[in-house]
Parts: sequence; structure tokens; C-alpha cells
Amino acid sequence: MSRIFRSFIRASSFLTKEFYEVLRQPRLIVSLVLGPFLILFLFGIGYRDQNRVLRTIFVIPKNAVISAQDIQKYSETIKSLIQIEGVTDNKNSALDQLRQGTIDMVIEEPEAAFSIIKNNHQAVFNVYHNEIDPVQIDYIDYLGWLYVGAVNQQVLQAFTSQGQKDAAKLHQDLRDAHANIAAAKKAIQTGDNATGQQKQQELTGNLDSISLLAGGTLGLLDSYQATDGGDTGSGDHVQTTLSDINQNTNVINNPATSPEDRLTRLDKIDKDLSDLDTKLGVVQNISPAVLVSPFSSLTRSVANYQPSLLSFFVPAVLALLLQHVAITFAALSIVRERNVGTVELFKISPISATEVLFGKYLSYMLFGGIIAAALALLMHFILHLPMWGNWWYFTLTVAVILFTSLGYGFVISIISQTDSQAVQYSMIFLLASVFFSGFIMGLEKLIGPVRIVSWMLPTTYGTILLRNIALRGLIPDWILLGGLAAIGVFLLFIAWLLMRRLIGSSAWSK
Amino acid sequence: MEAQIAINTPDPGPVSPPNNIISAKNLTKIFNTETVVDHISFEIPNSIIFGFVGPSGSGKTTTIRLLTGLYTPTEGTVTMFGKNPAKFKQNERSRFGYMPQLFVLYPNLTVWENLNFAASLYGMSFVRGKRLKNALNFVELYDHRHELARNISGGMQRRLSLAATLVHNPILLFLDEPTAGIDPILRQKFWEHFRELKQQGTTIFITTQYVSEADNCDLVGVQSNGKLLIVDTPRGLRHHTYGGDMVDLHAIESITYQEEANLRSLPFVLPRTIRTGENSVRIIVDQASTAVPALVEWAQQQNIKVKSLEEYLPSFDDVFVELVRREVKDE
Repeated sequence: MSRIFRSFIRASSFLTKEFYEVLRQPRLIVSLVLGPFLILFLFGIGYRDQNRVLRTIFVIPKNAVISAQDIQKYSETIKSLIQIEGVTDNKNSALDQLRQGTIDMVIEEPEAAFSIIKNNHQAVFNVYHNEIDPVQIDYIDYLGWLYVGAVNQQVLQAFTSQGQKDAAKLHQDLRDAHANIAAAKKAIQTGDNATGQQKQQELTGNLDSISLLAGGTLGLLDSYQATDGGDTGSGDHVQTTLSDINQNTNVINNPATSPEDRLTRLDKIDKDLSDLDTKLGVVQNISPAVLVSPFSSLTRSVANYQPSLLSFFVPAVLALLLQHVAITFAALSIVRERNVGTVELFKISPISATEVLFGKYLSYMLFGGIIAAALALLMHFILHLPMWGNWWYFTLTVAVILFTSLGYGFVISIISQTDSQAVQYSMIFLLASVFFSGFIMGLEKLIGPVRIVSWMLPTTYGTILLRNIALRGLIPDWILLGGLAAIGVFLLFIAWLLMRRLIGSSAWSK
Repeated sequence: MEAQIAINTPDPGPVSPPNNIISAKNLTKIFNTETVVDHISFEIPNSIIFGFVGPSGSGKTTTIRLLTGLYTPTEGTVTMFGKNPAKFKQNERSRFGYMPQLFVLYPNLTVWENLNFAASLYGMSFVRGKRLKNALNFVELYDHRHELARNISGGMQRRLSLAATLVHNPILLFLDEPTAGIDPILRQKFWEHFRELKQQGTTIFITTQYVSEADNCDLVGVQSNGKLLIVDTPRGLRHHTYGGDMVDLHAIESITYQEEANLRSLPFVLPRTIRTGENSVRIIVDQASTAVPALVEWAQQQNIKVKSLEEYLPSFDDVFVELVRREVKDE
């Protein structure tokens, strides 16, 4: 029998041994496969894609600017996020209820808001909560911001609506101005200076009124035009037009101006007023809601698939679970054999460190592979995890995750003195993976040096690679996969060195 | 400490040095400041049962680990098959087997699977069913081959360990207290197995805390507090401990002190007797086989009516206690 064949037989001893040992623990297999599947399944059917509705009381001071009725009306825009439990002027009572947990939020309207605004300050709505969860605190911050935005919008809408009502008067002024221009031109052409002078004065009165009203009403349109960088299709900017009108008016009112020049200027004023009239028509056709919030957004993805929250998490769960199973099993395997004394048999027998590790890697890779296959199939066919990419790439990635995780496990196993130590080290890896692998929050939220920890964890690579393959249909990022494999090879080497030392000085000659 | 090897003429002595399978010279192991094995030297010939006897904590397991290469000696040398066991190549490791004191196999595997695992550790061919069956038959466990190791008795676990040690047919066996904690009937069975293995040419190095088991060995080493007090045959051990063989003389009437003094003056009798009763006395002689007829003749001359005159074999417990007592006294 050849030396290589004998070596293979020795290594294979672990394959059958581990197979039978695991087979004798059916509950373990069930918990490893069905446990995570059931958790995801329950999460899938139990998860509601809805924001938390906060029970809210509004505190409205007695001298409030905004009435209780308006306050409730303003909250309509965020009605799916809050549930109004009442409106009161008793702040302390509301805060007591908040402390007792019967409500979730108190929004207090500022007292004497107008006088604050008049003094060039913002009036502040106080939003009270009783949360300690930073995520919930952020959510309440966001709700407060949304609510105040809604109030501001409503106030602006009211102003704008008033402005549109004022536009009717502007329209009349414009018509009067056109009539006075026509009359003034006629008088100049017929040499009727007295009538001409009178009509010019009336026109000046019209133009003052127009200038006042148009600046406010049409200025908004001017701002959109400037923001857009485009044109309303009706000439110059309102302020430029008003300035031209003002300048031409001054010229025609100058006694030294010749009749021809006056006629030319009156034509120019007439044209500018027509432009303003056109713009006024545009403004009057826009609703106040659009005028105060002229822009909205619509998010569109260029990715070929938009996964549900469950589908998004499934690849990460798979990567995390495989890492944990591989590390824990490997971590316990050698430490147990050492504590029981089985390692002495290895030391005495012809088996080498290489053969022990090869046998153990092979058996746990197969075992982990079976678990991964069972889980992936359950998730694909029952939880409908899509597979836009190639199953072979998926399998290759799973194999590399297992290989590297086993490396960590074996190193832990050899350096641990007891089972408890090995389990503790494995749990540290699990905890680190939850926080640093991008499982819960993205890696971009971690500062550079801390990301070193992230890139030491197989889950980090596994999450990115498996998501890209399954959800985006991409081929693996070979640099990431290679990096993970390189860590695995490094750990294999470390485990091999430690194993040689464990098996004893005699093993150096094996 | 160099052990005293006293070989009496009636017993065949140990096999000549070239046939020695194990040789230990000045072997010492110190853990931190504690000397667990203290400068011991001995040689073990081929195809014998070498018993290493001593109380718990006397250094037996450490010695066995030094001999197998599991431990590196602090001082001294050990050779197995003429070579340092720590330098053995893979194929050389198959020449011996080691049975640890505790059950170190896998409780969740069956008897058969455990044995199969042990066989594969030695690279035995996949077609090894017959060898496994033979090993299990040898330790009478074949009928229990499908039972999980965790479900069989402690005695059966010991036999399974023995089978796992034997499965690759080693020519040298190290058995660390294989009979500890098991009932006398099973112990007897174990010794039958060991004798059978010896008949097949296997050399066995066995440690035991049951001093009485020394009788089953060809050579016995007695260890106490890390020191090897003596290495000898079982008979030689008794002879050496008491300075000769012992003979019990029972008379019909009482033996007078004068008669006892006369007895001590005989040339083949050592000047030391032990009164065991009014009518009986224990005498230490050079050789019991030649002394008994001479004593019968002497009794007739002295008109002493002898009820019985026979060799007394002290228990090994007594021998051990005497040896240790003497060691303490010497120190």
C-alpha cells in the first residue's frame, strides 16, 4: 500500500468519525437547519413594513397662534405616523402621561410665535419623548422635522393663497394701465398735452400698485425660474421687467422728453405689462400647494431586482450562520480531544498534523456544505430567496466562507484550554460579526481602523458576495473572494503549526 | 537511582541485553520543581510482561509517557527498538501500541466505529473487517459491537481500549493501569489476554497499582516517589526483600527459645526468625528447596515433632510495604 494511500486512510478516519458523531445528534442537525429557517420564516410572515405609530398629545398654549383645530389639520400630512391622543394646554399633565408610557410623544406649540418671528428668530416646536433607543430617538427627531415641515408648508400655503387672491387686483391694475397707455398715446399723437399728462399720472399710479403687488406674487415664479435656470416662456425676470417699467415711467414723466420718445417708451411699458399679465396668468393657474412645494422626488433603482427586507437579509443570515457553525464545531473538536486525552493517541500513532487537519477540514467542510445546501434550498423554495446569479458561484463562495471560518475555529480549538473557553471565543466572533460585518449597519458607518475588524470576518465577505450573486446576479468579486481565501490559507498555516506543536515534538519528524 | 537487579539462580533471568526492546538510562522528569521520575534505569527484554508497580502518584504514568516519547526527559535517555521514540518515523510508530489510563475514545461512536477509527489512525487498509472482528473477539466484545461506547460498562470500555491498542498488531504494548477500578474476575480475564499476547510474542509494559498483580509478570519494577526501587522476577523480588526464602515450621508441641536459637545457628538459616505462634516459627533460608529437607532432618535430631514444614510466600503487598519501609529508612 502506497504511502499516500495510507496517509489518505489516516485522514479519512476523521471523515467517518465526524459523520457518525453528527449523525447521532439528530436534534443538533434539526436545530442547525430548521432553527435559522424557522426564524427567518417567522420574521418573513411577521414583519410589517410599516412605521411605528406614535401616540401623541399636542400642547397648545392659551395664547397660541395656531389653533388646536389647525394643529390637528397640519398633522394630517403625517397621520400614518402619529395617533393624536388629545390636545391640551396642560404641558405637565402631558409630560406625566409620557413618563408613564401611556403616550409616546408630546408636541408643544411655541408661545407668542409671531413676536419671536418678528424678532427675526424661528419659533421652536418642542418635541418630547421618553425613549432610550437611539434608533427610536432618531425616528422621533425625524417625525418632529416632518411635522414642523408640514406646519411651515401650511403657513406658506396660506400666504400663497392670499397672494393669489391679491392677483385679481393686480389683474385689474394691469388692465387699467393698458387703457391709460392707449389713452396717453392717443393724446400725444393728437397733441392733447393736458389729457396726455393726466393719463400719464394715472398710469404712474397704476404702475406703483402693480410694482407692489407683482413683486410679491410674481417674485415666487421668478425664484423657480432662477432655480430651474430656464424660462417661463414669457420674457425677462419679473424684477428686471419692473425695473424697466419704473425707468421708462420716469422718462415719460420728464417734461424734457420728446413726444416721439414718450410714444416709444409707452409702447415698451405696454409690452412689459403684457409680459407681467402673461406671468400672472401662469401664477394664477398653479395651486398654492404646488407653489410652496414645487418639487418632489421619485426614487427609481437601476438594479434588476428590488428585494424584500427578508430576501435582503437571507444571504447575510446564511453567511453568519455558516461562519458560526464552522467556528463553533471546529473550536470544540480539538479542545475536546485534548481534554479527554484522545490527542495522546494521535501523538502515539503514525498520524501527522497535516493528516489530522486535512481530515477535520474535509469532514467539517462536507458537514457545513450539507447544512448550507439544505438552508439555501429551503430559503430559495419556501422563503423565495431569488437566485439571479449562478448557483456554482454561490457554492464556491459558501465553500470559501466555510474554509476560512474553520481556520478560525481550529486555531481557537488548539489555543483553548477548555470547552468553555472555545465556546466563549466563538461567541466573540459571533458578536463581532453582528456589529462589524455589515449585518445590521453598513460598513461605511465605521471608521477606517475599525473596519480592519470587519475585513477579518468571513461574514463581511460572505454577506457582500452572496447578496451580489443572489440578488444582483453578479459574478463574485474575485478580489473579495480571493481575500477571504487568503485569510483562510493563512489560518490553515497557523493551525498546522499549532497542531504540529500540539501533537508533540515527535511530530516534527512525522 | 540505579535499580538493583537481583536474579536468583532457580529462575531464568532476563533475556540477554541484545534482545532488549526498551532501555532507559538515568531517566528523569521534573515538572517545575517537582521530580516525578527520579533517575531510573532499566532494560526490558523481548516477549515478556514487564510489570511496573507502585502506588498512585509514584510516577508510573509519567514513566510510560517518557518511554513512548509523549514526554521529553529532563535528563537521561530512552530507547525503544534501539532508537529514541521521539524521533520515530511514521512507520516505526506502528510497531507499538499505547493504552492510556482513561477511556479516550469517542462515547458517541459504537464499539465497532471506535475500533475502526483506531485502525484507520494506523493507516490500516479499508479491507480490515476481519482484523477488527478478531480484535473484538479477543476482548470478547464482538457481540457488543453495535452498542455506543457511552452505553457500555467501564470494564467493557477498558476492553475496547485494549482492542484499539491491539488492532494494528503491535509488537510492543504499553498499558497504563488497564486493570484499575475493575472487578477481580475481569482483572483475571485481562491477565489471561496479556499472557496470550505474550505467547504470541508481544512484549508488554504494564503499570498497575495492584501490587498483587506482580505475580503475573515476568519482571517487576517497583516504583515509589519517582524512584525505581528494584527490578526483578516476582520470586526474586520476595527473596531480595527478605534476604532469602521463607519457611514456616509448625511443631506439635511448643518450640523452646533454645530450639529457636539452635535453628538460627544452622549454616543455611539466616540469623533471623519470626515467631508466628507458640508452636510455630518463620525461618529465612538461602533456598527453600534445599533447606526444607535439611530442616526435617534437624528436627528429627532435636526430637521436635513436626506438624508441617513448608515454604511461605509473602504477599506482594507485604513485599512492597517492606521495600518502601526500607527505602524510607535508608533515606
